[in-house]
Formats: sequence, structure tokens, C-alpha cells
Amino acid sequence: MSKTNNIGIPTVEEIKQAQIDFSPRCTSAGRVNDKETQKMVDYILNFARKHSLFVLAYGTGCGAIEIPATMTSRYDAERFGIRGAATPRQADILLITGYLSTKTLKRVIRVYEQMQDPKYVIAFGSCTINGGMYFDSYNTIKALDRYLPVDVYIAGCMPRPESVIRGFVKLQELIQKGNAGNGECYRENLEWYRENQQKVIKNWDFPENYNW
Amino acid sequence: MMSKLKKENKILAKLNDVFDITGEIKSEKRVSIKADRKNVSSILLFLKKQKGYIHLNHISCVDWIEENEFELVYIVWNPKTKITVLVHTRIDRENPVMENIDTIWDQANTYEREFREMFGIEFPGLVGAKEFILEDWDNIPPMRKDFNSQQYAKDTFTTRPGRENAQNVREAIQKRSGEEIPDFAKKYSRD
Repeated sequence: MSKTNNIGIPTVEEIKQAQIDFSPRCTSAGRVNDKETQKMVDYILNFARKHSLFVLAYGTGCGAIEIPATMTSRYDAERFGIRGAATPRQADILLITGYLSTKTLKRVIRVYEQMQDPKYVIAFGSCTINGGMYFDSYNTIKALDRYLPVDVYIAGCMPRPESVIRGFVKLQELIQKGNAGNGECYRENLEWYRENQQKVIKNWDFPENYNW
Repeated sequence: MMSKLKKENKILAKLNDVFDITGEIKSEKRVSIKADRKNVSSILLFLKKQKGYIHLNHISCVDWIEENEFELVYIVWNPKTKITVLVHTRIDRENPVMENIDTIWDQANTYEREFREMFGIEFPGLVGAKEFILEDWDNIPPMRKDFNSQQYAKDTFTTRPGRENAQNVREAIQKRSGEEIPDFAKKYSRD
């Protein structure tokens, strides 16, 4: 890190030189700020992030039926800054609403890998936790965090809109602390995730390398 | 009673005249017949073209593993008389082949593709006879009774620890309240 002036604010040149990576979990290599300033920057970034959570409009399983109730006037999730996003590249949150069949899992992984950092995963309902009522089904996965990194689990079958919003508030707390967002973790442990995914998805036709 | 079931008796008598079937009136507006698999398509065509049973409600399949047979049930409905006719037929389980009826009702195609995948029943001449709902399935068809779903799930998916000591609800209630479990229910016990 090059020399900064005495209040710790980087000069314009330093900012231009360094490619600032805004990912909360990334290594400090690209950062130009000193510790105290970075804390402040992180606080502001996390504050902004937690109040603009764009949820990908993608429903799996039966839990998607709770989303309209959460989004509309009675529970009105938009007062927390939670709203829908049309495409994976515009979204921050991937909601896994309920059971996930192996066929859907393949698509969900593709969707997750297309999302931009910072990205969060909320798993929804008991099916994603331990299989739920589909514990002996031949076609649904039993523990989601083997295949994708999960930030928040919401228990219930189905969780009511209050619990859904509680889950989102919990995620906001994690984001403010800087503990959420597992995109980096996913990339680092890709081998372990891939091994688990390939156990379930038999016809593996994913691209070899993503341009993260 | 007989006057009430006049229409039901009429259609049953008519079917008895034309085809070699056995049938009974289950209840009001509900007639159930059993037929040989060779006659089924002509019965369905007869019901549709001659008797006004233009609506195919459902086709279902039952696996009678003890008798080594599949049972197919075609449910058709007449919107004028509001009578439902259930056409039962049995086919061999070892070599399950059934006539394709998607020339009579187009929507039968979807059911037949599902049976092909879930039970392994072949329908000669079926349009789109390829992978339907399951993806990359390499085991025996999963809706057959000899497919052990629980064992397959145990082998394929990683389960989170903590479910092993899950209580059998029926036994837990029995222990608590002293209620007796009927004999027929014991064979469905989890253990």
C-alpha cells in the first residue's frame, strides 16, 4: 500500500491505480484505504446494500406462493428495500423457495453462477434444510448447502410472510456486519461444491471455466 | 332406486351388448367397467363417438406387483348426462405394452409419456416418446413398487444428520395414550 496523507484518505491517483473491489469478502489486495477508512467505506457500502435487496423472480417448489403475499400491500416487503429483479445479473438474492428437484438444481446452479457479486442465497422451508416431507423422494435434494452456499435458512412448511421478512431482516443484519455474501467462498471451494453437484447431476454439461 | 339409476343402467346395458365386459354401477352417475386390453381403444372410441363421452378426465396406472400386472384406468365423462365411466384394464407387468389412444384424445399423449417414464409402459406409435419429466434417469422406473425410493435417496443424496431418530408418529401416540395399533397398519410401520 502506498503512502497516504495523514487523515487516511487516498489520493485520486491511488484510486485510479488500484482496481477497487467492492466485494466484502475479497482479499484486501485491491484496497487502497487504510483500516479505519475501509471500515467507514464498508459501513456505507453495507448500509446501501442492505437497503436495496433485489430478489430474483424465480420460484422453485411450492414456497413461491408466499412471495406474492410478502411483496404485496399487506406485508409490503418493499419498505425494507426488497423487490423483484428480472434477470440473474441484476439480482442480489437467490431465493430457493421449497423443494429442489435434481433437474431444477442444475438450472439453479447456472443461475447462481451468473449472478454478480455480492450475491446472497436464502433457503426457504424445511425441504431445503433436511428434505422435509420429501426426505425419501428419489428426485429432490436433501441439504441445499452441499450444493450452494446458503446465507440464511428460513424454517417452516411453509414459512408465513412474517417469517420470510424475519429472514430478510436477519440477512440485512449479516450484511451490515459484513458476514453475508458467499460468492467468494463458493469460488474458493468450487471443487468441493462441484464434487457434490456432480454426484447428483449425472449428465454434466457445464462450461469448464466461468469468467467470474 | 332403479328409476334413479336409469341412465347408468342404460349405458351399462349398451356396453354389455356391444363388448365383452363386466361392469357395475358404483354409485349415482358413476359406472365402472372391466375390459380386456384389446377392447379398450374401441370402447373408448365407442363412448366418445356414439354416446357423447367426449371428455377424458384422467388416465391412471396402478401397480399390482403381487399379481404381476399393471392396471390402467381410463376415466371419461359425458357433459350432458353428467355420468362418469371408468374403464379398467390389466396388462402384463413383465412386458407392458398398451394401445396408444392419443388419436382419440390428443391430451392422452401427455399421460402416456408419463406412464412410459414412470412405469416403463410402452405405447407403440407414441409421439414424442423420449425423456419427459425425469432427467438422466438410469434406474428402474421410479413409480414401480419394486423401486425402493428411500434406499435410493439414502444412496444418492447426502442427508443431514438428525433424522435417524425421528419418531414414528403412530408409535409415539400409542406409547403416550395407550392406543392400540390395528394389525393392517403395522405393516406400514417405518421400521
